[in-house]
Amino acid sequence: MTEPAADVLDRSRQDAGLSHDELWLRYFALGGMSSALQLEAYLYGALEPTSHDHDVIAHALNERFVELGGNHPVPYADDEPAVDS
Amino acid sequence: MIARWLGSTDPFGPNVTVGDHPLADFGITASFADERAVLAVRGEVDPVSALVLGSLFDAVMASGYPAVLMDLPNANSIDAMGLAVIASAASRLVAQGGGLTIRFSSTGVARVFDIGWMAELISHAIQGSPVDHLAPAQVARAVAAVATRAAAPNLRTLAGISATEEAVDSALGLVVALARAAVDGADGASVTLRRLGQLVTVAASDTTISDMDTNQYATGEGPCIDASLEGRWFHAESLEEETRWPAFSPLARALGIEAILSSPLLSQGQPVGALNIYSRTPLAFATKEQELAAVFAAEASRVLTAAQAVAVDEQLTRRFQEALRTREVIAEAQGVIMARQGVTENEAFDTLRHLSQSSGASLRERAEGVVGSTQPTPDSP
Repeated sequence: MTEPAADVLDRSRQDAGLSHDELWLRYFALGGMSSALQLEAYLYGALEPTSHDHDVIAHALNERFVELGGNHPVPYADDEPAVDS
Repeated sequence: MIARWLGSTDPFGPNVTVGDHPLADFGITASFADERAVLAVRGEVDPVSALVLGSLFDAVMASGYPAVLMDLPNANSIDAMGLAVIASAASRLVAQGGGLTIRFSSTGVARVFDIGWMAELISHAIQGSPVDHLAPAQVARAVAAVATRAAAPNLRTLAGISATEEAVDSALGLVVALARAAVDGADGASVTLRRLGQLVTVAASDTTISDMDTNQYATGEGPCIDASLEGRWFHAESLEEETRWPAFSPLARALGIEAILSSPLLSQGQPVGALNIYSRTPLAFATKEQELAAVFAAEASRVLTAAQAVAVDEQLTRRFQEALRTREVIAEAQGVIMARQGVTENEAFDTLRHLSQSSGASLRERAEGVVGSTQPTPDSP
């Protein structure tokens, strides 16, 4: 589940038109505690975020999608009991 | 090198002044005598004013003054960037066979410069002790100019012009003055910049010259417009023969201008304006003058590129401050929810997140709502 989840996050980041730095700033604003480097590692699937961290990232992305006129397309940890690969 | 005004009368009139950095009350007065340039610095040398100081050093060196005396009579402090600019200028002046002399009134500032290798480059003298090669009248002139500037009210601060823009305009004003003085046959110079989608003249040596620019903006044609838009230089060798700008050329000649050399200004590689040099003499600008104009245009471009970097920094700082405020509000709201519902920090975040998700409001807006509520849990899920 780690790698697909990371893929979803990074693809969403690209769809949202956010750079890694911009996403980190939004994640940080929402209370995220990981460094920009750690965040990149989550997105590349090199590190696994805690489910809380995952949700903060997902919410940062979702707020961006809301700004762009979308809903909340990025799933949260408790929305995705299992991701088939 | 290029010292064209050596032995002639002072090309600037009494002096050239640059500065009035509103944040730090910064100013520089430059005067030129024999082979020495005197730079009198007032106020703090901070990252923005260091930029002006650096470009000024470069322009002075490009104009063929290897020996520079810098007065820091009122300098309150100098940061690392200011030191770097001064050290770099000093080493380049020494390499050109000249040097940098710094005079201080404060021993505190002197101590800053008393650092090994830097002290070797810079010969400094505490104010009061004799300074070689500088006549008392010249010192008096530099100091008097500083005093005059210090008394002038800073109206631009009230007008809300940013520190960066102010510093840039000042630096460009100096480049214009030096270009006019250093280029043979130049009767005036100006800098055109594109600001908010419009070309404007940010520095001009006199009103005739600013009228020249205005005529180009009004007719929509001319070398300064073409150079600003196309990013390459345009040379009207003799306006009498000129066919490229039929509406503008007669207006220029009516003001007595016969030759124009416009060099492009680039910021981070993109054309953003032009340095324009005007002459009353047809065919005034030969290859040598064109090369010299290119030196000053490159100098002005460097100022613009650095200023753009500062502006980006300021923007980033503002965004970071905004992110910090959001973070604070959310943390506060988490605290309220934790106290009310006896949940963990992460669960409090989830509560806020669900509120945000179901309402379409941002998490910050929901957090502000929670913090603003003094009644018990109106938002409880």
